This record gives sequence, C-alpha cells and structure tokens, in this order.
Amino acid sequence: MSRVTIDPITRIEGHLRIDVEVDQGHVQKAWASSTMFRGIEKILVGRDPREAWLFTQRFCGVCTTVHALASVRAVEDALDLEIPLNAQYIRNLILIAHALHDHIVHFYHLSALDWVDVTQVLKADPRKASSIAESLSDWKGNSTKQMEAVKNRVKGLVESGQLGPFAHGYWGHPAMKLAPEVNLIAVSHYLQALDYQRYANQVVGMLGGKTPHIQNVAVGGVQNAINIESSATLNVDRLVQMKVLLEKVVDFVQNVYVPDVCAVAGFYPEWFGYGKGVTNYLSVPDLPLDGKSTKFELPGGFIPNGDLSKMIPITGQKDERWRRAVTEDSAHAWYKGGGPLHPWKGETDPNFTDWKEDGKYSWVKAPRYDGQPAQVGPLANVLVGYAAGNPLMVKWTDAALGKISAIAGVKATPAMLHSTLGRHGARAIRTAVLSELAVKQLALLTDNILKGDTTIYNKPEFPKGEIEGVGFHEAPRGTLSHWVVIDNGVIKNYQAVVPTTWNASPRDTSGALGPYESSLLGTPIADAQHPLEVLRTIHSFDPCMACAVHMFDPSGNNVARVKVL
Amino acid sequence: MKTAVYGIGNILMGDDGIGPAVVHYLESRLDDDVTLEDLGTPSLDLPNYLDGFDRVIFIDAVAVDAPPGTVHLFTRDEITAVSTGIRVSPHEPSINDALIVMDFAGNAPSEVTLVGIVPETLEGAMTLSGAVSRAIPAAAAAVMGELAKGRERVAVY
Repeated sequence: MSRVTIDPITRIEGHLRIDVEVDQGHVQKAWASSTMFRGIEKILVGRDPREAWLFTQRFCGVCTTVHALASVRAVEDALDLEIPLNAQYIRNLILIAHALHDHIVHFYHLSALDWVDVTQVLKADPRKASSIAESLSDWKGNSTKQMEAVKNRVKGLVESGQLGPFAHGYWGHPAMKLAPEVNLIAVSHYLQALDYQRYANQVVGMLGGKTPHIQNVAVGGVQNAINIESSATLNVDRLVQMKVLLEKVVDFVQNVYVPDVCAVAGFYPEWFGYGKGVTNYLSVPDLPLDGKSTKFELPGGFIPNGDLSKMIPITGQKDERWRRAVTEDSAHAWYKGGGPLHPWKGETDPNFTDWKEDGKYSWVKAPRYDGQPAQVGPLANVLVGYAAGNPLMVKWTDAALGKISAIAGVKATPAMLHSTLGRHGARAIRTAVLSELAVKQLALLTDNILKGDTTIYNKPEFPKGEIEGVGFHEAPRGTLSHWVVIDNGVIKNYQAVVPTTWNASPRDTSGALGPYESSLLGTPIADAQHPLEVLRTIHSFDPCMACAVHMFDPSGNNVARVKVL
Repeated sequence: MKTAVYGIGNILMGDDGIGPAVVHYLESRLDDDVTLEDLGTPSLDLPNYLDGFDRVIFIDAVAVDAPPGTVHLFTRDEITAVSTGIRVSPHEPSINDALIVMDFAGNAPSEVTLVGIVPETLEGAMTLSGAVSRAIPAAAAAVMGELAKGRERVAVY
C-alpha cells in the first residue's frame, strides 16, 4: 500500500491538496483539502451593499465577472428589486461570453495534456491528421499544410531541448493512448484555441468596459448607456462587432471543441467507467428572461442519486426549498463550530489544527443540499437540462453521444456521463448550448434596443431593519451563490458558497465524502510516482481553488510536489 | 514600440496588492501611449493582455529571500527559466507560463521585465504593510527607468 500526496507548493501554501491511499494499483481512500484560509468575505462586513460587487470580483482572478454578478443579484434579491430587460440581456451576454472563453481554455490549455502526448506528434503523418480532422467536422483550419506547420513547430521545440508549455505534461506515460495524428490535431487546435478564447473575452470587455475587472454592473441594472446613434455608447456598430466575434466562437465551439472532446473520449472509453463519485447533482437556473428573474433560458434542479426521473426543479432565487436547503458543515474544516449552518448564519472563524485524516484537514467547508453532498458543474447543468427536457441540452447531448459512439465503436449512453470523461463531454455540450444562446441573447438585446427601450437601471432603496438575500449564478465551474444579510443599509454578514467548495468538499459530520474524494475511489494508478490518473479525474471537475493570492516565485518552487510514501 | 505596464496581485490579500498599488501610483505619471492596467490575478488569461505588445513591464510580489519592501528586477530569460509545474487548478499558471505558451504560438512580447517587491504579509486585508507601502515610489521609479531605456534605444536607431 502506498500513500500519494499531490500538493502544489508555493511560499503561501494556498492550493488544492489531494491525498490518496493506493493498494493493488487502485485508489482505496481519498482526501481533498485546501491549504489556504479563504476568509475574504469578512472584508465585506460593514460595507455598502451597492459596492460589494467591486470587492467580490477580486475573490478570484479567473472568475471575476461571476462574483460581480452573483453579488448584485444577492442584493437585488434582498430588496426585491426588478431590473430592466436590457440589463438582464447585457449581463447574460457577459456571463455567456465569459463561460465560452473559460471552457475553451479549460479543455485546451489546462486539461488536454492529461490525454494528449505531445512527443507523439513527431510520429504523425500531417496528411492523415488532416483527413481524420476533416472527417470529424468541416472546420476550415485542418489542412495538411496547417498540420505540417504545427508538426514543425513542435519539432523545433523538441530539438531545442525544452518542451515549452508542454514541459509539465506526463508525456510518454503508459496511460497515454491517442494515435499520433490525433495528438497532432489536438496541438494544432491548442494553438487555434488561443485566438478563439480571446474573441469571447473581447465580448466581455466590450460590454464590461474592460477585463479582467468589469466596470459596468450596478445593483439595479447596468451602467452601459444605450444610444444607437452615439459612438460613445452601446450602439449598432458595437452590436455588430459583438455579433462577428461571437459567430467566430460559435464556429470554433461547434466544429472544433465538441468534435475534439468526442475524439478524445472515443480513444479512452474506459474513462467512462472511472471518476463517478457523488451522483447527487445541483444546478441553478440561469440566463433570466424577465426583469423579476422568474423565467430562465436554462433550468435548474437537484438530482438525487443520479436518478434523472426524480429531479426536483429549482424555480428561481425565491424557490423556498433552495433557500432552506443549502448549509455548510465544518466538522472536518479548520473553523470553529462543526454542525451545519445556513449561509445567512454562516461563520468564518479559523481554528487551524494540523492535517488530520480523521479530524480537521481542509480550509474548505462542506456544503450540503438537504443535508447531502452534491456535485456541481457542467455535468450537473447538462443532466438537469436533459432531465427537464430543455431542447438545446437534449439536442447537443444526443449529438455528442452519437459522435462518441461512432468513434469508439460502442453505444454511448447518458448513463456513461457519470464519469471523468462525462464531465469533459458535458462541458463541451454546455459550451455548444451556450454558443447558440449567445447569438440568441444578442438578438434579444438588439431587438429590445431597436424597439426604443434604452432603460438600464432601477435605483435601489434600502429599508430600515434587517433583510436577507441570495444571488445565484450557474458559473463555468457550477453553482455559485452569494448570501447577504443587510442591516439598515449596511452589510452584516456575507458568505460566498463557490462551486469548488461543493466539489472539493471535505467529509461532513456524518462522514460522507465530498465529490472529489468520492470520485477518486477505485481509480487505477499505473505509476504512483506519476499519478496521471488522479489528475485526470480532478482536472475533469475544473478546480478553481487558490482564488486569492498570486505571487511570482523566481526559485521555481511553484511546481507540484508529488510525494509517495 | 507598443508598451504595457501591468500590476499583478490580489488587493484583498495584504501585500499581494502591491502590483495594483504601484499601477495606481503611476496613473497620470506615464506617457499616454503606454497601456497601464491593474490585471488582478489573471493567470491563464494573461496571454490575452500580452498579445500585440512589443514590451511589457510587470509589477508583482516576488518570493525572494530579502527584506520586505525591497525591489528586485528580473529579465525575460530569468522569468522563463522558471519551470512550469504540474497544474492542478487554473490559478497556478504564472507570468512564466504565459510567456512560454506565447513563445510557442509565436506572438510573445520580445522585451519583458518584472519589477518584483518582497511582501511582508499576505493575510486577508485591503492594506499594505508599512515596508511594502513605502516601496511604492521605488518600484514606480524602477518602472520609469525601464521605460526610459526603451526611449534611448529608439533615439539611437
């Protein structure tokens, strides 16, 4: 039996740490922990709720916009404040564009190297790679000439003695199985993805004023002045520019990203059998279509035990069950107290012990829904959408499963999605759905403006006494909720229950494992010194952990430490 | 030469906010053709802000064994010599990762300098420690010194 610890270390020790116990080549026990105190909500106590979003978007460097929007939604919910239609559409477009950008980056630039062996590219036949790629879609960037250029670029890198961005990949690992040509296709699309994710990010910047920190939201709406004839405001020119950018991204997502994920899945069908974990799924409705946020483009719900027929819908932020169901437990987290607390009553008082496998071992609290752990993220989003019969979710899920079946030569079913590869597949499905909705939301905004509606903001009025609100958002990594208590117009308590808290949750009072922990049980480990298989499953969740601190370490200590005992 | 000056760091985490603080200090002190921005903690998104620039100066907290508040300059080669590690979350990629990815893609800025300041504390707070706060003018002067080097070169050629 051996014990493997994956612990990326920096001077500030603020990352995700995974411990697994391996016996007979398989993971028998697992622990997920965060090594960094995340008490930044305390900074908000005593502040003006209208300004909270400016601070919350600094929680995280990757998901700035999502924390800005969850915050204004929480305050609006507390005030029962309706917002103008233009504001909903503009916010929806920002959230969609951010998600398109984020999902593309996650697959190509963060997790593809778990499956792609760059050194194999040198053995690839560019002509064959081109013809395989062209059989998967009619994307224009798959010519033999382009494949040859990418192969030469990789050759140059290898000959230089360094692998550049691929230096940290587990190339040559026995668990790598793609054909050389598929590796070449993937690296070629890795380079193209750099451009397409940027187009999506540009849309966030055009509406948000700038990126990474948007300037345009407000409690009560947005601050984008609309005048179709003025060059200084949101006008017809800008709407057209955004349409051009979004259409490019739509093309890339539907004709490159989705086929690539299906191709990788087709080469690794056994990974539909690993990484299942917690099969309670939570996803909130998003992309509101009315000022009161009662109708949504995408549905939300809770699926108990992976049974889609038992899905309990979540109708909106006012849904009574949702408002009651979320709690956080700190029995195994480094906080005082233990038993579950509702976020409005939530406490953030640190109580650090050492890492104790039977005691407290993480800075992440254990969020629970109706007392149970829940998996969040694109897979939850897709399964809830599929269970609710959302036409776009059904269409893209069926299309992806059909493509995987054709490549793998086995029948792919929705049940196989409860897995490591299922999470990658679901992320691609969700991205395809969002790509269609980007075009739709832009059309809704354009039509509304052309009808003569230029309203963007309703002024908030704060009552005397105490009020409570919750703002949620189905973010790229899953269900995000901000919970605020306001007393006489000032923030009294603020808790952010972030997607990675759900997934990286430690055990709770009852001993129930969190989704990461549970998903690793039974995973085969070919080489304990190089636990690629653990990374495959953890990466499939898209962890977003060390939200708070960034520091450059010139000594190179920011590499992961893999310790095998 | 298209130039950008970027502050990196989290303003909610004590001295990690030094990059953004120096950017704030430099507002109205730089030429209009220099792009000046507080990028927060952009990690994997960083290449989006480097594309199209010939020269970039970063201001960031650095882990160096030296007294808090001291200012240290790093060259492009020193930055990219730092190995990229195994990545668990999208936050870990740093300045070196962005440059290495862009070198492979062929669109990286050719001139890069890091003006690093040693932090004293990274505890959750929106204020800088005394030592780091007093380092703001020196760090800003280092940035302006780097910018001046570029101007001399333009004049020579």
